[in-house]
Amino acid sequence: MADKLRTQQQLESLQNKYIGTGHADTTKHEWTSNIARDSYASYQGHPPLLHYMSIGMGQPMEKVRMHCMERMVQPVGPAPPVED
Amino acid sequence: MANVQATQAFYSLTLEPSSAPTAACTCNVIPGLKSQDQQIFEARGQRILLHRIVENEDRTEVKVSTFLDQDVFGIVRGVSAFRIPGTGTDQLVVSSDSGRVVLLNYDPDKNSFKRIHQETFGKSGVRRTVPGQYLASDPRGRCVMLASAEKNKVVYIVNRNAEGGILISSPHEANQWASLCFAVCALDTGWEHPVFATLEVDYNDAENDPSGEMYERREKQLVYYTVDLGLNHVVKSWSDTVDYSANMIFGVPGGQDGPSGVLVCCEDRIYYRHDKSQPLSIPIPRRRGATEDPERKRCIVAGCLHLSRARHEFFFLLQTEDGDVFKLTMAMAEDASGRRTSQPESMSMRYYETFPVAKQMLLIRKGYIYIAAENGNNKLYHVNDLAEDIEFEPQNYFTSDSYSPDPEESYEALYFHPRGLTFTSLAVDIPSLHPLMRTQVANPLNEDAPQIYAIQGTGATSAFKTIRHGLEVQEIVSSPLGAIDYSNLWSLKHRASDQYHSYLVLSSDYADKTIVLSIGDEVETMENSPFLTTRATISASLMGDATLVQVHARGVHSILESGTVNEWPVPSHRTIVAASANERQLLLGLSSSELAFFFMGDDGVLNQLEEMPEMSGKVTALSVGQTPKGQMQAKYAVVGCDDCTIRVLSIELDSPLEARSVQALSAVPTSIEVIEQIEPDSGTNVSYVHIGLQSGLYLRAVIDDVTGELGEVRTKFLGARPTRLFPVSLADSSSCVLACSSRPWLGYNHPLSTIYTLTPLVMAQTLDAARGFVSEHINGLCGIQGSNLLIFELGSVEKRLSTETVGLKYTPRGMARNPWNGVWYVVQSEGNTLSRETKKALRAKGDGVKKLEDGDVKMETADGDDADMKDTTAPAADEENDVGETDRHLGLSRGLGHWASCISAVDPVHAKAITSSIEFGENEAALCVAAVAFESRNWEVFVAVGTGQHLGAAAGADVQTKGFVHVFRLVDEGRGLEVVHKTEFPTPIYALLPFHGRLALGVGPELFIYDLGMRALLRKSRGLAVPNQITSLQAQGNRIIAADVSESVTYVVYKSTASSGAPAGAADRLIPFADDTIQRWTTATTMVDYETVAGGDKFGNLWVVRAPEQASKEADEEGIGGFIVNERSYLGGAPYRLELRAHYYTQDIPMSLQRTALVAGGQEVLFWSGLQGTLGILVPFVSREDVEFFAQLENLIRAEEPPLAGRDHLMYRSYYAPVKGVVDGDLCERFSKLSFDSRQKIAGEVERGVKEVERKVQEMRGRVAF
Repeated sequence: MADKLRTQQQLESLQNKYIGTGHADTTKHEWTSNIARDSYASYQGHPPLLHYMSIGMGQPMEKVRMHCMERMVQPVGPAPPVED
Repeated sequence: MANVQATQAFYSLTLEPSSAPTAACTCNVIPGLKSQDQQIFEARGQRILLHRIVENEDRTEVKVSTFLDQDVFGIVRGVSAFRIPGTGTDQLVVSSDSGRVVLLNYDPDKNSFKRIHQETFGKSGVRRTVPGQYLASDPRGRCVMLASAEKNKVVYIVNRNAEGGILISSPHEANQWASLCFAVCALDTGWEHPVFATLEVDYNDAENDPSGEMYERREKQLVYYTVDLGLNHVVKSWSDTVDYSANMIFGVPGGQDGPSGVLVCCEDRIYYRHDKSQPLSIPIPRRRGATEDPERKRCIVAGCLHLSRARHEFFFLLQTEDGDVFKLTMAMAEDASGRRTSQPESMSMRYYETFPVAKQMLLIRKGYIYIAAENGNNKLYHVNDLAEDIEFEPQNYFTSDSYSPDPEESYEALYFHPRGLTFTSLAVDIPSLHPLMRTQVANPLNEDAPQIYAIQGTGATSAFKTIRHGLEVQEIVSSPLGAIDYSNLWSLKHRASDQYHSYLVLSSDYADKTIVLSIGDEVETMENSPFLTTRATISASLMGDATLVQVHARGVHSILESGTVNEWPVPSHRTIVAASANERQLLLGLSSSELAFFFMGDDGVLNQLEEMPEMSGKVTALSVGQTPKGQMQAKYAVVGCDDCTIRVLSIELDSPLEARSVQALSAVPTSIEVIEQIEPDSGTNVSYVHIGLQSGLYLRAVIDDVTGELGEVRTKFLGARPTRLFPVSLADSSSCVLACSSRPWLGYNHPLSTIYTLTPLVMAQTLDAARGFVSEHINGLCGIQGSNLLIFELGSVEKRLSTETVGLKYTPRGMARNPWNGVWYVVQSEGNTLSRETKKALRAKGDGVKKLEDGDVKMETADGDDADMKDTTAPAADEENDVGETDRHLGLSRGLGHWASCISAVDPVHAKAITSSIEFGENEAALCVAAVAFESRNWEVFVAVGTGQHLGAAAGADVQTKGFVHVFRLVDEGRGLEVVHKTEFPTPIYALLPFHGRLALGVGPELFIYDLGMRALLRKSRGLAVPNQITSLQAQGNRIIAADVSESVTYVVYKSTASSGAPAGAADRLIPFADDTIQRWTTATTMVDYETVAGGDKFGNLWVVRAPEQASKEADEEGIGGFIVNERSYLGGAPYRLELRAHYYTQDIPMSLQRTALVAGGQEVLFWSGLQGTLGILVPFVSREDVEFFAQLENLIRAEEPPLAGRDHLMYRSYYAPVKGVVDGDLCERFSKLSFDSRQKIAGEVERGVKEVERKVQEMRGRVAF
């Protein structure tokens, strides 16, 4: 029993430390949001990619970066209603 | 993760590193310089650079010189510099993708970066929660903060200990779950506890609310994090809600200098916020003009602060997305006794200038503004005026007095009039290549080496560039000297102690005569010169103090200072064929293979050595070494004979003309020069012998000072003509050699890399001979081109590429070359920009406003190339001078959802201008272009352009995105375009390809083949090729390679009914037969051979894939009844899978790939160009041995010198997929920069000498590229 508890604790600490660490009840929304946020963070972190997008969109890089940041707030729409 | 060497391995080299800046800051890293003399620390791609601004005394010549440039093999994301109190120079901080913070120092002795600290705080790679995205350092140099896009922040406290060492604390974390960080800056708090401000959004509530209500109510917070230096921890000390559109924050000076706090830049407004002061707000003025949308709100994209600590004054320069720069100042409230308090009362803004949109704008204390431009050339402006005069342009001056700092409250927008440069002037335009949209290597002029044609830039600064490997030359004088061709010239001083040259001796072998010009204020023919003019001169030189020695075929004519002429006649039946002299020694080669040697005494008289040793063959060239400083005689002379040998002879008086060593050559030497040059390694002078051969080869070898043996031979092929060498010296008096073959080359020690470099000079015609030329006004070179005398100066030898530019209108998207001549068709399109038609309509509507915009405002030219610009607009004069200087300076008129687009025919070869241009209307954007010869029209060449209409329109919008293919007929030898027709397609067209006398094009995932009809294109064949969207097409034979936007490439075979004998009416078929296993977001592809494709993707990878042999064979089986037609699809894809042959992460996004040779007589390489301005090559290894050697070398260097920013090199090159079949040449080239011990160690490991390894590394580049 103690073992199980420890596993649980370890998992929780991991989930706290690393965003996106899943759990048994990860929903599709959580999963896709997480992936989308990772992508948006990656676009900003790679300067050539941001540059590429900014040229395609005809916007300065700072605006594209803001757009990516903003999309990270709710990348795939609101969570589906919880069923009881 | 071993480096797997597959069947074919490549050596990757960067020819021109990326020029796009990612971050920059000012710093003071050179000890001993004034604090005003700031340097610029800049990150570009994977390199970090230090620049200095060098100006002459009266500031007429300003230069931005890069004095250190290092590849860190990691993605640099932020740089910062700060001064730890009590230290002499600034510390540099680099945040990269290594998950580490790196503190660097500049080491002025070694001219290198010294890593002080490297602290790991997270995983490597660009990740959402690993800090590195943002970097801010305390203005008082006490701590740095790194933050990630989400959640994590880490603060390091830095200190100085008593010994002067830098200490760094353990990391202090300030993490906040589910909070996104939009911006970070450091507050100026004086000497109180350091504070960092961030803009954060908490998404936790929005995430858990299915109704979406919480999302609507989300808020952006301005958060203060205080670093408590006493308690040694970081606390969130204050937070307040700000306008949700906030995107940038700047720390306002504090302490004695100002109120502290932050400027929060939002859409259309700027706020001042602080926990101890009242907030203030001012709108960002919008542009007024007929073609400007008055409702469009601007954001701040860059800014910088100027703070005068002595006067406690400060201001900000803030740049909007249009490039307009505003000067923001703050006024402080005064207390009862009239003293300034630290409570700000109002802010005021003044329109300052319009600059290119900056990634980072830096104000340099010397009075310059450095624009690290997002797109196009980086620029340095000289600040003439800080716009302090209130009277000037009162309409462009605004204050915050009447504006409420409440974001909810409505306010009236402000408007200003943009204009040309007024307060500043362009000091330096630093040539840059970003963004590089496409390149093509071609040689329409049949020059020695092909040129790189590139489309580059965005908006109004777009350009078509011709890039050549070579140094630019500024011609000063070019004057014809009569009908006869001259073969050699010498520039001579009158006395050895003179500063300037006095005589120019030109000799013509053909006419057997010599002419002498005198150099004074003018260069003119000397009528009664002391020289012998009736014969051709073999050599002329100044010997001793003031003796002029002229060697001609029949003798030696020496003119003493007194005017006395001594003549030494050649022994009978012999002539002089070669001669060389230094200050005291003269060596002659006679037609009888004998050598005659003279030594000049102090009286200026030549004394002959009695011995006349005979050489093994006819003497063809010889050279005596330069007289070393402070000595009387040089040690060695080198004599070349027609038996393809050279001999090193001792010419010291105690052992005259004793042979020391012999070296065999591949051809007859035509020219030999012994020159002392600095060996960069040791910094000492070493004698090098430079040898030019009949075959156009050039060799350089070191003469051992003791034994006279030759060693370290380096070879390079220069051109088709015999190589002739001329010792010259540069403006900075470093000695170098000019080698003239079918074009002239300069051999010099590169100032930055210190490697001996050979670079051609860009000249219309080659030089026959060249010498140094120093007069009162000119310090350059003089040369002969046939019968022309040319006097020229060399520009900087730092840049090895020279460019010619033709201006374009909008961002270029694609180009195609006319198959018959050197005309390119460039399609351009610009998003969110008003088209010409719309602008015309708007202008017609608001004519009054237009007058103000164009007439009242005088323009200054920002670019130096306005003459060039006028050329380009001249043929298109009917177009109402659309891209005039105003547009070019202020940028194009923006309009959300609008597209401006056109196609231009560009002739970069003869006209050097746009020869014809057609605009697209109806919100179309041109995306791709191809020059197609249609078989049905008797192989007449047409230009096809693929466009998209209403690109980027939302799914529910009332307009639909679709595509067109426009066809243009060529007139006037391809220089003109004429509309034929256009054909509609359901999706935008991204790829076009001439294929078997027809046009292949990609419509979404489908591949079509069309023929030209009378009123539209006619469909001939259709096939589903890729899963999503075809972005690029290539073909060889019946094989078409279709690249998908996200799913790599698919090989398609075209089965024609005509060849298969199938029943009439059966359609031609397109059958995909091989595709890839990995998703690759392909940007560019090229076929390396029939089976192999090289490509690049959006994430910065280069890869080479190959079709399996069976698939390839099966696909090519005759006819339509073959096996491949009935082959079953495998796992939902094509029947066969491609094999990966090479994979390599370059960081920059490859936009063009081409298999081509880059130098005359060089092997073919895979040339690629990247979006951020990188030019690179992949060189296929020829021998297995080389692969092993370089792979081992790469491994050893990796271990010996881990990259500076802390990224693991192998991990870096394997960013998305393990590196395969590619050796990183850039890393191998670090070898020569390693310390002596490291080099010894590595050379020992590979069982070779240090010099040999260096030679191998350099040859790998020199053989195929520059």
